[in-house]
Amino acid sequence: MKSISRRDFLKVGGLAMFGTVGGVTWAQKNAPQPALPDDICGVSQIQNIVPTAQMQHGDGIMPGTVGEVNHEENGFDPTNILTDFDYGEVSIMSDGRTLREYRIMALNKDIEIVPGIKFPAWTYNGRIPGPTLRCTEGDHIRIIFQNGSDHPHTMHFHGFHSGAMDGVPGTGPGGNVQPGETFTYEFDAEPFGLHLYHCHVFPLARHIAKGLYGAFIIDPKVGRPAVDHEMVMVMSGFDIDFDDENDFYAVNAIPFHYQNHPIQIKVGETVRVYLVNILEFDLLNSFHLHANFFNYYPTGTSLTSSEFTDTIIQGQAQRGILEFSYKYPGIYMFHAHVTEFAELGWNGMFEVKEQLQVHHD
Amino acid sequence: MTENTTNTSRFTFKSVVLLLLPIILLIGVIALFLSTGGGLSLESAAPVEGLDVERYVLKENSVELHVRNTGPEEITIANIIINSAVMPFRVEPSTDIQRLGRAVIYFDYPWSYGEAYAITIFTSNAVPFNVEIPVAFETPQPSNSTFWGFTLIGLYVGVIPVFLGIFWFPALRQLGRRTMTFLMAVTAGLLVFLGLDTLAEALEFASKVPSAFQGIGLIGIGSVATFLLLDAISKRQTEVTGNETDRRLAVAFMIAVGIGFHNLGEGLAIGAAYNVGEIALGTFLVVGFIIQNITEGLGIIAPVLRDRPSLGRLAIMGLIGGGPAIIGAWIGGYTPSPFLAVLFLAIGAGAIFEVIYEIAKLIQKDTARESMPMTVFSGVLTGMLMLWVTGLLIK
Repeated sequence: MKSISRRDFLKVGGLAMFGTVGGVTWAQKNAPQPALPDDICGVSQIQNIVPTAQMQHGDGIMPGTVGEVNHEENGFDPTNILTDFDYGEVSIMSDGRTLREYRIMALNKDIEIVPGIKFPAWTYNGRIPGPTLRCTEGDHIRIIFQNGSDHPHTMHFHGFHSGAMDGVPGTGPGGNVQPGETFTYEFDAEPFGLHLYHCHVFPLARHIAKGLYGAFIIDPKVGRPAVDHEMVMVMSGFDIDFDDENDFYAVNAIPFHYQNHPIQIKVGETVRVYLVNILEFDLLNSFHLHANFFNYYPTGTSLTSSEFTDTIIQGQAQRGILEFSYKYPGIYMFHAHVTEFAELGWNGMFEVKEQLQVHHD
Repeated sequence: MTENTTNTSRFTFKSVVLLLLPIILLIGVIALFLSTGGGLSLESAAPVEGLDVERYVLKENSVELHVRNTGPEEITIANIIINSAVMPFRVEPSTDIQRLGRAVIYFDYPWSYGEAYAITIFTSNAVPFNVEIPVAFETPQPSNSTFWGFTLIGLYVGVIPVFLGIFWFPALRQLGRRTMTFLMAVTAGLLVFLGLDTLAEALEFASKVPSAFQGIGLIGIGSVATFLLLDAISKRQTEVTGNETDRRLAVAFMIAVGIGFHNLGEGLAIGAAYNVGEIALGTFLVVGFIIQNITEGLGIIAPVLRDRPSLGRLAIMGLIGGGPAIIGAWIGGYTPSPFLAVLFLAIGAGAIFEVIYEIAKLIQKDTARESMPMTVFSGVLTGMLMLWVTGLLIK
């Protein structure tokens, strides 16, 4: 008898010491419910035990960010970047060819890449990726590049052009455009395909990782078959603590954006994705489409698909065109099948809806 | 009234002004510095931030991180990455944490038993803070079984050995004066060893205390204050009673208190280590603790061997000396706090060193009657060696 009361005493004394969250929740969770009749003070005491989580629970535990980055302050929204093609200022030259003029400015800009964290980025025209420059094979291209930042930068295009237009240090004024200076890159657009451009100033890895890259599409003269949706996806990462390791991965700069805002398409609609990998610090990147297969055109330099697959791998600066359509409605993931990247942000969704039935009487 | 004051004390209006003058000037200098920057360029390129993860709690499919902002300015928790996955999270009370403020980060994660995890907490300035979970297992929550588990640890490590040592009392009473002095010297040796051990442990915990709380300074305050307080109490007691027997009893109690604090620290360390999976309390380890701590009981009774303390008093001394191990295990197991650990250990060190001083005085009285230098030397050395040798079983 005596020992029991002593034991109870110790128990109570011990519990009194757990003045912590753990102790309190334990006490509340394990509180015998009948011992807390609802009518003691008219209100159930169980009600306010656990504060409702601000996390999305849904069907299970899933990686993701909380909240939304400020797209307005960032100056771009990845949803719009998907379909934002810059065809330049078009005019016809004396020889009858098409001239396209683009104005690009290098700018320092803090970009909120995940909610609450701003990355001191270097950008083309204030966005990541830079504008998707699009033209047709044989067009004459003129890019008026102005360096509005406080570091030397360049634009180095993948494609045919003269050495002076290569945007690499040691090739003349276009190879190291100083802050405040302007340089005009000029060349004929060839070969057709999906290419890219990026800064090529030393230290190169840092200049690329900071955000100076974009897609460059040269359409074939004959054009590609018409599709219902064309979209650009530039895969990259962000090393926010500058240890030469990426902390976040994404398509079109904002991690988890298309997971939080699924891309809307309909059953049977044809989709063409221009996919570019410019990921720094990691060797490989990849793209995997769920519940579907796609035709793959590496570098887009052929009109014949090289592969019918659901997963492709790209090293840095590799790119290719994907074509597919969905048979069934539903929500389908697309992500890097380097799954580590997927859980660090490179994950998105297609939301495929039924075609609206058009009724004819 | 004022006239009266000015007349009786030399504390005039003028002296008040003179006293306040440096303070007023100080306020002026600070105001000037804050408004102008004092000509120093204090803007740093990189934000200086500090975040201590004081403990982590693993529950089924979820993780809690108890953090404290130890940097100079407010910080904002912006992102959590665990084993290369960005996880949605929430922070209570807020993602903004004031300087020295605390918060708890909660997130769901399907961790697996026995695996290792690396967590990165990013602040809004993109400063990463890393947390390692070397071995994942459900953090013991206050429940009947873990409660009794920690109680048993404390019993084995503290209470039982101390009482076993006290059980030598009847046997040792038969010894001669010289042997008793030898035992006192042994006790002094034990305590020197325990004191150093306690101090070392305090220093170890001090490195885990957020720098703003100045762990080393805390050790100084705790130990010096305890030493001087016990010294004052003992001097006062001598003034009041002057009775030799009472004094020896008082010293025995003080030894019990000192050893009690040491065992509290031991319990804290064991409980905390058990909590983060750094310790597997093997039977061998527990046996080692029992053997080592049995000498502590011996130390407590050494000063009163020639007297006749009541059984009740001996029992209380045993509880004071050994019981805190249980309390330490509870605190260490459920709410490990480096701050409290440093404070307790510093108090323990102060108490132990004061008791050594008291014992030295008692021994001096004995040696004044009969010179026995080798007895003291061999006794102190024996005491220290006893703990060192039995310590080999534990470390």
